[in-house]
Amino acid sequence: MEKLLVNIGQNLFVLFGLLAVGGAGVLIFSKSAVHSVIGFLFSMICVAGCFLSLQAEFLGVAQLLVYAGGIVVLFLFVVMLVELTKYQEKGIFQTQTKFAIPLVGAGLLIFGGVFRAALFGASAEDALTLQQGLVGATENLGNAQAVSRGLFANFILPFEILSVILLVALVGAIVLAKSERV
Amino acid sequence: MVSMNAVLLISFLLWSVGVAGVLIRRNALVILMCVELMLNAANLNFIAFARMSGTVHGQAFALLVMGFAAAEVAVGLALVVALYRKKGNIQVDEINLLKG
Repeated sequence: MEKLLVNIGQNLFVLFGLLAVGGAGVLIFSKSAVHSVIGFLFSMICVAGCFLSLQAEFLGVAQLLVYAGGIVVLFLFVVMLVELTKYQEKGIFQTQTKFAIPLVGAGLLIFGGVFRAALFGASAEDALTLQQGLVGATENLGNAQAVSRGLFANFILPFEILSVILLVALVGAIVLAKSERV
Repeated sequence: MVSMNAVLLISFLLWSVGVAGVLIRRNALVILMCVELMLNAANLNFIAFARMSGTVHGQAFALLVMGFAAAEVAVGLALVVALYRKKGNIQVDEINLLKG
């Protein structure tokens, strides 16, 4: 028990990460679209937990707000809007599934080999260790303030481009989804 | 303190599940959700590398990626609704309007 508590950050991260992968599995393999959305919601909440255990508090809360609060509700709206029941008997997987699954498996093996050599090999012990704290973040400067300083000091142009893209997406979504007869 | 290998392994698994979902599912909504899953795996890596380098640049960029993902979901769901109006279903292997 003490051994678990000593390394609690790591254990919580792995727990949340594996739960997120499990939710993603539910998302892929469930027949009903509503069950897929619930799996997606679970996975997003667990990814928010991963962010929190990586000490990115602001991003964890933003993840909860944006994904669990906004995007999942949008997906549920669209699931309710489109009628899916009469197409369920045709099967949920593509016809190329029997080629795609060996392809993904082979990719997993290849990338996993590279991964194992790069991360668990002899020469990769001290290159990839996490720092204890952020550079800009001192005791009286919280995570949100540090992130906003980084955002507005270094990434002001991508921020402005993102605002334009959000505006274009708003207009485009309304134009695409509006019905013809209005 | 979380080790970097665990972060990379978890994000690799999440990304692989997303790719598998995009490749094998027929429902356009599930494909959109799998794309979101892949973007989240990338975000996880951004945050972990920000923690590794000790700067906040990765976290700021992860915030930007989150905004882009929201824009992508809005347009994608509008496309799904428009497709449902046009074809009556959202199965991606039945979208063959360009086939002569």
